Amino acid sequence: MSLKDRIKERIIILDGATGTELQKKGMPAGACPEIWCLENPGIIGAVHSSYRDAGADIVTTATFGANRVKLSQYGTHDVARVNRDLALLARSAVGAGVLVGGDIGPTGRFVRPFGDLDFEDAVEIYKEQVRGLLEGGVDLFLIETMIDIQETRAALIAVKELTDTFTSVTMTYEAHGRTLNGTDPVTALITLQSLGADAVGCNCSTGPEEMLGLIEAMKPWATIPLVAKPNAGMPELIDGATLFTMREDTFASFGAQFVSKGANLLGGCCGTTPEYIRRLKEAVAGGRSIPPARDSISAVSSARSSVILEGRRALSIVGERINPTGKKPLQEELLEGRMSLVRTMAKEQERMGASLLDVNVGMPGIDQKKSMLEAIGSLSVASDLPLVIDSSDSNVIEAALRLYPGRALINSISGEREKTERLLPVAAKYGAMFILLPLTEGNVPETAEERKKIIEAVFAKAAALGFAKADIVVDGLVMAASSDSKAPMETLKTVEWISDVFKANTIIGLSNVSFGLPERPSLNAAFLAMAVSKGLTMAIANPGVEEVMNSSVAADLLEGRDRDAAAYIRYFSRRPPEAKGKRVPSHEVPADPVFQAVLDGNRDDIESVLSRALEAGGDARKIVDGSMVPAITKVGMLFDRREYFLPQLIASAEAMKKGIAYLEPWLGDAGPAKRQKGRIVIATVKGDVHDIGKNIVTLMLRNQGFEVTDLGKDVPAGTIIQEAARIKPSVIALSALMTTTMVNMREVVELAGQQSLDCQFMVGGAVVTKAYADSIGAHYAKDGVEAVRVAEKLTLGKDSDRDLSS
Amino acid sequence: MPTQLQIFPSIHIPLPRDAIYRRLGYREGTTKIDARKREEIDRHIDYATSLISLKGAGLRVPLRDVTPHRVVFGTGAEIESDKLARFLKGCTEALLIGATAGGAVMDAIRGDTEGGDMTRGVVVDAAASEMTDAALDWIIGLFNRLLTREQARLTKGRFSAGYGDFLLEKQRMVYDLLELHRIGIKINENFILIPDKSVTAVAGIQG
Repeated sequence: MSLKDRIKERIIILDGATGTELQKKGMPAGACPEIWCLENPGIIGAVHSSYRDAGADIVTTATFGANRVKLSQYGTHDVARVNRDLALLARSAVGAGVLVGGDIGPTGRFVRPFGDLDFEDAVEIYKEQVRGLLEGGVDLFLIETMIDIQETRAALIAVKELTDTFTSVTMTYEAHGRTLNGTDPVTALITLQSLGADAVGCNCSTGPEEMLGLIEAMKPWATIPLVAKPNAGMPELIDGATLFTMREDTFASFGAQFVSKGANLLGGCCGTTPEYIRRLKEAVAGGRSIPPARDSISAVSSARSSVILEGRRALSIVGERINPTGKKPLQEELLEGRMSLVRTMAKEQERMGASLLDVNVGMPGIDQKKSMLEAIGSLSVASDLPLVIDSSDSNVIEAALRLYPGRALINSISGEREKTERLLPVAAKYGAMFILLPLTEGNVPETAEERKKIIEAVFAKAAALGFAKADIVVDGLVMAASSDSKAPMETLKTVEWISDVFKANTIIGLSNVSFGLPERPSLNAAFLAMAVSKGLTMAIANPGVEEVMNSSVAADLLEGRDRDAAAYIRYFSRRPPEAKGKRVPSHEVPADPVFQAVLDGNRDDIESVLSRALEAGGDARKIVDGSMVPAITKVGMLFDRREYFLPQLIASAEAMKKGIAYLEPWLGDAGPAKRQKGRIVIATVKGDVHDIGKNIVTLMLRNQGFEVTDLGKDVPAGTIIQEAARIKPSVIALSALMTTTMVNMREVVELAGQQSLDCQFMVGGAVVTKAYADSIGAHYAKDGVEAVRVAEKLTLGKDSDRDLSS
Repeated sequence: MPTQLQIFPSIHIPLPRDAIYRRLGYREGTTKIDARKREEIDRHIDYATSLISLKGAGLRVPLRDVTPHRVVFGTGAEIESDKLARFLKGCTEALLIGATAGGAVMDAIRGDTEGGDMTRGVVVDAAASEMTDAALDWIIGLFNRLLTREQARLTKGRFSAGYGDFLLEKQRMVYDLLELHRIGIKINENFILIPDKSVTAVAGIQG
C-alpha cells in the first residue's frame, strides 16, 4: 500500500529528534552530525531502530545538514556519498516495514530575492543531496525546519525535477505564527501544495499547544495531508542549559487534538525521544485521519500573504500601475535597471486597497526577462501582495514563475495555440493560477456566445493537465463602449455566465470600457458596479482612482459581500475628509483660518489662506503676531502635553516657516530682520554625524524670530568658536547623539572660556542630560520646544527685540 | 560549530508601525491626531519602507576567556570591559551582529531635513531607526532558532560598543569581523558607522 493510501486510513507516525539523541549518546558539541554518524554507525543505527521499536512508521535519515553548504563548513565535499550512506544506514537499521524518509534541511543561507544565494544554485545544491538520498533508497523526502519560503521552493523543485517520490514539506514558525521571514502557515500551504508537495505542515517551531493553531488554520485550505512535528514544549534555560521540559505524557496528550484539527502525520522535533513517540502513537491509536477538505483551491500567494478567491468575498482589485505603457518615468527607470519607482507604485497601490499587483515590464528596447525577474525580486521584498505576472512572452512568464516565491496568477493564457501548448504545462509545473483570456488566433469574439466556446475549449486542455476550475480566472473581455455600444453588455453576459453557469472566478480589465471617452472614472465606476452585480470577482484597475474604489466597496455591500457593512464603514471612516470629497461648509470656516492652518500644520494651504487674509485687508505684521505666533505657541503647548507628537510639531513649524516666507514682501520694515530675538550659532559637535535633532531645533528657533547660523554636523570645537567670535551670538547651541561625542561639548565650552567669548551655551541630544549640562556650565533643552523657551530666557534683556539687521 | 560569517543581504521584517509612532512621541490615549494627519504620516512611513533596504551580518565567535575585566575571542581579539565581561559570563560563544537600513534612506532624510519636507524627514528617520533595530532583532531571532537544535540560546538583551566601558573604538573590531563593508557600511575615523542608521551588537550564547 502506498503512503498516500496509508494516510487515508490512519494517522502516520513519524520519529522524533535525532540531534539530541546523538548528543546523549556521546556526540561532542561542535561535531558535524552527519560525519559523526558515519563514523559511529552503530549509534545512529540504534537511534533509528529505537524509533522503529517505539512505533514510528517513518524514520528520518541523519541528513538534515547533509548539503554542500553545511558539509563544506566541516571540510566534507562528497555530498552524494554522505547522503547515500546515511540513507543505507537507516534502511539497514530499521529493515522492512518501516519507511525511510530522506531528511533535507536548510542550507543556512537565504535564497534570492531574500538572500545572496542564487535560486538556481540553491536548486542544484538540493539536487545533489536528493540524488544521494535516492541512491540510498529512501521511500520519501522530508523537507523540514525551513524558514525561507524561497529556499523551501528550491528544495521542493529539486526533488520534483528528479523524482515523483512522496515529499513532505514543513516550515518552522515563531510564537507569533509566522516564519522569521514573515510567511504564515496558510500562505506556505498555498504556495507549496500548488508546487507539488504531497504533505505540508510545521515542525520545530513551538510546543504542541501552540502548533495546534497552525494546523487548524491550514486545514480548511489544504488539498493534501498535513504534518505536525512539535518540540517537547518551549525550551527553558535551567542552570545554564537549554532544556525541553515537557513530559512524554503531556506531549502525547496533544495527539488527539492534532488529529481533530486535521493533522495526518504526527511526530516530534527537538527534545522528543522514542518514549515520546511511543506515547504519541498510543494516544492516537484508532483515531480517524481527517482527509483534506478539498481537491483544489482558488488562491494566490506572495512570500508573506495569500488571497483566497472563493465564496462571496469582496471584489479583489488588481493594481494595474506597474506597467510602463504611457509612463515615461517608469520607462526610464526600467531601462536603467532601477526599481525604486516600481516599489513606490507597489506600496501606493497596496495602501490604496489593491489585493494583488499586476506586473508588466514590456516595452521597446528592454530585456523583458531580466527586467521582470528584477521586478519580481524587488516586489517580493517590498510588498506583501501576491503578483500577477503579465507578459505576452511565454519565456518571460516561465522564468518569472520559477523565481516567484509564491503562487502567482498568470496574465494571461488565451486560446491561441502557442499559449495553450507552451504555457499550460508551465503553469501546471509551478502550480500557478491563470487568467483565461477568451481570444483565439486573430479573433476577438464579439459575443458572449463566441467567448463561451473558447473558454470551454481552453479549459478542456487545462483540465487534461490537472487544472480545476478553481485554478483559473476567466476574463470577461472588456471592449471600448466608444467603438461598440453593445460591447459592455456582452462582457456582462460573459461574466454572468462564467459566474453562474461555468462556475469560475472572473476578471475584467476595467478601464478598457471607457477608452476614448471623457470622464473615464465615472464610466469605469458604473461599469464596475454592474459587473459586480453579475458576479465579478476581480478587476484590473488603478486603485488610486477614488471613484473606482468607492464603487467597489459600495457594490460589495449592495451585493451582500460585505457582512454588516463592516468593510464599507471601515473604508470610509479611514479616508481623510478631503479624500471623501467633503468640503468644509461656510459655517465651519474657522474663526481664524491662519491660526488654524498653523495649528493643523497645513503646509499645502497656508499660502492661499494668507492670500485671502491679505485680500480681506489684513495687515501682515498683525497676521504674524496675532495669528501665527499664538498658533505656534499653542502647538508648543500641545506638544508639551503630548497631545501633539513630533510630526505634528514639525508640520506646524513648517507651515509657519512657509507662511512667514510668503508674507515677507508685505512685512516691509516689519520683516523678518526686525523680528530677531537674538543670534544663535548651532552645531552638532565633532565626531557626531547625527543632525536631525539639530535641524528641528534650528527650524523652531528661526520660526520664533531668532537669527540662527547652522554650522552643520561633525563640527570641530575650534570651528565653532571661530565662527562664534565672528558672529557674536547670544547663545551657542550644541547637539550630540552619542555618549562618545557628548564629551566634545565640554571642549567647546572650555575653549570659549579661554577666548573670553561673551555668550551662553545650550545643549541637547538623545544622551545629554540636565546634570551633564550643569557640569559643563551649559543650559539644557530636552527638545525643540524647550530650546525656544531656553533661548528666549537666555536672550531676554540682552539682545531681545534689538534690531540685529545691521 | 564552525564560525562562518553569515551575510543577510535582504532582511524582511513586519513593519513596526506602532513602534515608529511611539518613537515619534505618540502616546496612546493622549496624543490627538486626525485622519488626515494619520494618513499623511502613514504615507511617509510607506515612503520610508520603499527606501529602506535592511541588510545584516552575523558571526558566531568562540570565547577563549572571559575574566572580570576582559573578553578574549577565539580569534585572538580582546575587549577590555567589565560590563561586557559580566554580560558574557558563563557563555562559551558570542554572537556578533550588525544591521543597516542602507544609504538611500539616509539620502532621502538629508534631502528632506535640509530644505525639503522636514515632517517627512523626521518620520522617515524614525522609521529607519526602528526598522534597523528590528533587523537586529530578526538576526537574533534567526540565531535563536538555529541554536534551539543545539539546545542553546542567546542571552537576553545585547550590548553595543559605545555603551558603558565597552569603548566605541572597539566598533572597528566588530566591523572588521563582520565584514560590514559587504553590506555597504563604512566606519569613519571616529568609529561611527555610515550610513548612520547602522548598528552593531554583541550577544552571548548560553547552554
